[in-house]
Amino acid sequence: MSCAGTTFGLIAYIAVSWSLAFFFPQSVLAFLLFEASLLLIYYLPVHPKMKFYMGASVLLVLMPVLGFVNGYYLEVAVQIGIYVALALGLNIVVGFAGLLNLGFVAFYAIGAYLWAIFGSPQANAFLPGGFFPLSPAWFFVFLLLSVAVGALAGTLLGLPVLRLRGDYLAIVTLGFAEVVRALVNNLDKPINFTNGPQGIAPIEKPPLFFRPLLEFFGIQFEPAKLYPLYFYFLVLSLVMVIILVTRRLENSRIGRAWKAIREDEIAAAAMGVPVVRTKLFGFAVGASFASAVGVLFAAKQVFINPESFTFMESIGVLAMVILGGMGSVPGAILGATGVTILNLQLLKGLSLWLNSLRQSGAVLSIPFLGSYSLSQLPAQFEPAKYERMVFGLILILMMIFRPQGVLPPREDRKL
Amino acid sequence: MSLLELRDISKRFGGLQALARVSLKLEEGMIASLIGPNGAGKTTLFNTLTGIYRPDAGEIRFQNRPLVGLKPEKITSAGISRTFQNIRLFSHMTVLENVLVGMHSRTRTSLSDILLGTRKFHAREQAAKRKAMELIELTGLTGREGEWAHRLSYGEQRRLEIARALGAGMNTSEAYSLMNLFKGLVGPYVQAILLIEHNMRVVMGISHRVHVLDYGEKIAEGHPDEVRQNPRVIEAYLGQGRWSENAHG
Amino acid sequence: MELALEILPQVLVDGIVLGFMYALIALGYTMVYGVLEFINFAHSEIFVLGSFVGVEILLMLQSAGQLTAWPPALVLLLVIVAGMVISGLAAMALERVAYRPLQGGPRLVALISAVGASFFLQDALRLFESLWRNTFYLSYPTLDLLDETVPLTTNLVVPVKSILVIVTALLMLAALHFFVNRTRVGTAIRAVAQDPETASLMGIPVNRVIALTFFVGGAMGGLAGVLFGLHYSLVNPYSGFAPGIKAFTAAVLGGIGNIPGAMLGGMVLGLLEAFAASYLSILTNGAFGAEYKDVFAFLVLILILIFRPSGLLGEKLREGRA
Repeated sequence: MSCAGTTFGLIAYIAVSWSLAFFFPQSVLAFLLFEASLLLIYYLPVHPKMKFYMGASVLLVLMPVLGFVNGYYLEVAVQIGIYVALALGLNIVVGFAGLLNLGFVAFYAIGAYLWAIFGSPQANAFLPGGFFPLSPAWFFVFLLLSVAVGALAGTLLGLPVLRLRGDYLAIVTLGFAEVVRALVNNLDKPINFTNGPQGIAPIEKPPLFFRPLLEFFGIQFEPAKLYPLYFYFLVLSLVMVIILVTRRLENSRIGRAWKAIREDEIAAAAMGVPVVRTKLFGFAVGASFASAVGVLFAAKQVFINPESFTFMESIGVLAMVILGGMGSVPGAILGATGVTILNLQLLKGLSLWLNSLRQSGAVLSIPFLGSYSLSQLPAQFEPAKYERMVFGLILILMMIFRPQGVLPPREDRKL
Repeated sequence: MSLLELRDISKRFGGLQALARVSLKLEEGMIASLIGPNGAGKTTLFNTLTGIYRPDAGEIRFQNRPLVGLKPEKITSAGISRTFQNIRLFSHMTVLENVLVGMHSRTRTSLSDILLGTRKFHAREQAAKRKAMELIELTGLTGREGEWAHRLSYGEQRRLEIARALGAGMNTSEAYSLMNLFKGLVGPYVQAILLIEHNMRVVMGISHRVHVLDYGEKIAEGHPDEVRQNPRVIEAYLGQGRWSENAHG
Repeated sequence: MELALEILPQVLVDGIVLGFMYALIALGYTMVYGVLEFINFAHSEIFVLGSFVGVEILLMLQSAGQLTAWPPALVLLLVIVAGMVISGLAAMALERVAYRPLQGGPRLVALISAVGASFFLQDALRLFESLWRNTFYLSYPTLDLLDETVPLTTNLVVPVKSILVIVTALLMLAALHFFVNRTRVGTAIRAVAQDPETASLMGIPVNRVIALTFFVGGAMGGLAGVLFGLHYSLVNPYSGFAPGIKAFTAAVLGGIGNIPGAMLGGMVLGLLEAFAASYLSILTNGAFGAEYKDVFAFLVLILILIFRPSGLLGEKLREGRA
């Protein structure tokens, strides 16, 4: 049971790390410590009500305030949120149902382009009447629509593909994603659907419908300051919905059916599980999550192009699920957070550090090998660009040393 | 009309005739055993019966419904469940979850109920869990329901398989040992049992009828005492020395 | 229509050249799948490694001023042999480090590791070249001999580099065929492919045979890499991905595990792709042009796996798992 000491210790930790991050906005470490508080809240033995309040205050109050001070943090938080949503979607397909989808990003692209095309002047290129872009309020309609479109795409992909054996399934899903990307890249002729490699811009953002309410309370903010917060809360809400849906499905006969299929398809069939239908449903659910967050992504970025939806992105999401733990919701969240931070903050930080080394003109003296002027470091060597190496290492090392992930699903001791 | 009837079932895999015109009837209230040396085709017959394989020829009728060509899940919902010779439990799922999966086709909750977390959903889940717990008690696995299946001992895993198969078919009851379990099951809980078994004591002890396969063909059928004295059966087991280690008597 | 016929011979030559390269790469996939039932996803990087070995050797010769001094045949021989050996060794190392620890476990675990290895190697190559040459987009120095052309007919001129590809590939395929079917070692490979347990009972050192299979498959991929570099000149660490997927498609097309199948599949896919590249825009009146030729291979893969998963010549996988 909860120990008062732990609770106080946790509150103290949150307060301290938040203050550090607040007063030292340049410090990556402080921010990481603050983010880690969420993990501690989840795992330390604290009364569930306290956990809820602490978590809520971190996510709903402390983080936004932090973001207000340093907009970059908010951007990172939104990025993390997007990848958490993607990882949760892939977790259903790979983690629950055991289907290795190497082309998950295709569904993300479909959602993003769905809003991008109709929420920008792009659609005027093939639909007469000049009706586009649709008014920003349509964003929410498209958010819902993307769930259906994503589910449809997932089902269509699944139908021919689900009876293939595991490794072939993986390659075909990869092929599917590449086909989607090639289509998106090339469907600017004969009819300009997607504007090809140039991408689509500007994409409408959702309306600040609450602005009148804020103004009523005398709070005036410029859209530029308001939108990052707005997107933060949108992503947070979407992630909460996704977590809720996932948990509900997991603890129902559908979730059990998925896991049974993953463990032993034939035994599952013998138990009465309709295998094909269940797999299709898994594909559809995962795809719908990705599409929904794709719409959000398009609206946030204002500009999208095919480069955001490469094979590397798919593998990145896979690395997140595997690092965190296949089949585990907290695992997927941890994996997404970890990998995003690794890429966004650590690698970039490394790049910046190397650049400053280059410019500093310092000289490295290595015994016996002579001295090496750091300005000679090849300009082409940019750690920030080495995401593939990071993903690759994660995948290999996890498979060899801890295939169940950092936070694997646990037995239910307390049934 | 028999409860289950297999007529002239044949199945070929490439050059191997796994089953050749095997016929078998199972009456209501009967426990029948299917025996034969290794490789005789017993598992193949089971797989064909439950829809994993499709027979090249022959008919299967259950309660006068034709079963050939149906998918495994349809056969299960028609009322036939099976366990596997090698333990095919869902290793990384809990004991409780394993049994609940067996009940998959019996728990009819709709998607909207699941997503909205309605009272109906919770009620059905609770009911399902209660039934599953009773089956777990029945098979003597109380207290292990939260553990992952691969952590159980061999004997416990066998019992879990039974619990799971029962969940796929049936309602519940009190506790018995394995042999009496079957005897006690027939009538109130299952209509009939067809059993592949190598332990002759079990076979002789509880079967009403024994069917013998060898090289894909049925070579004998009858009351256990008749079959054990049948010269063809003896030769099939002893003649080529293909007697399985578990066999006695 | 006349245009179509006019370009036909050129399209055929392009297709054949492409086909041989796909065949060589496909061999790596199919041989490994034959002995391990495993897709060596990182084979595409073994292929690209060959290209890089080739370009590095040529660049080093060039900066030493020796590129024009040595006889071209010697240069080519050096580059080809080096490419094959180094790629082969890299493939062996890959197996030892990233795959062998996972043998015996679920198959998807090994596949995920292979995908990870593929990504890792791409950036490893990039890292090496960034530090070594401050650029990772490299270009093969020209060897004048390769650019000369041989006129076959009035319409058709074939560059020597194409002939090089065709001749080298043919020789190597014949050598491989001989190796696999007529030597003891080759027979050991076929035995392990068919039934590893029995092969091991017969005294065949299965792990060593697997390592050797990786070497041979990797060498074929490395050869394809060198030829690719010589023929198309430009290489970068990421240029293995597309040919890799296409070659895998070719292997499946011919029948996975089936060595003649890989050769056939490679040829068919190469020709199909050349035809698609040249004729697709003509056929669709410009609506869909050569930019879809990569997608083509994926579509072929999906169709094959749905309608004829055992491929044209049939799969050659392990016999009856009891």
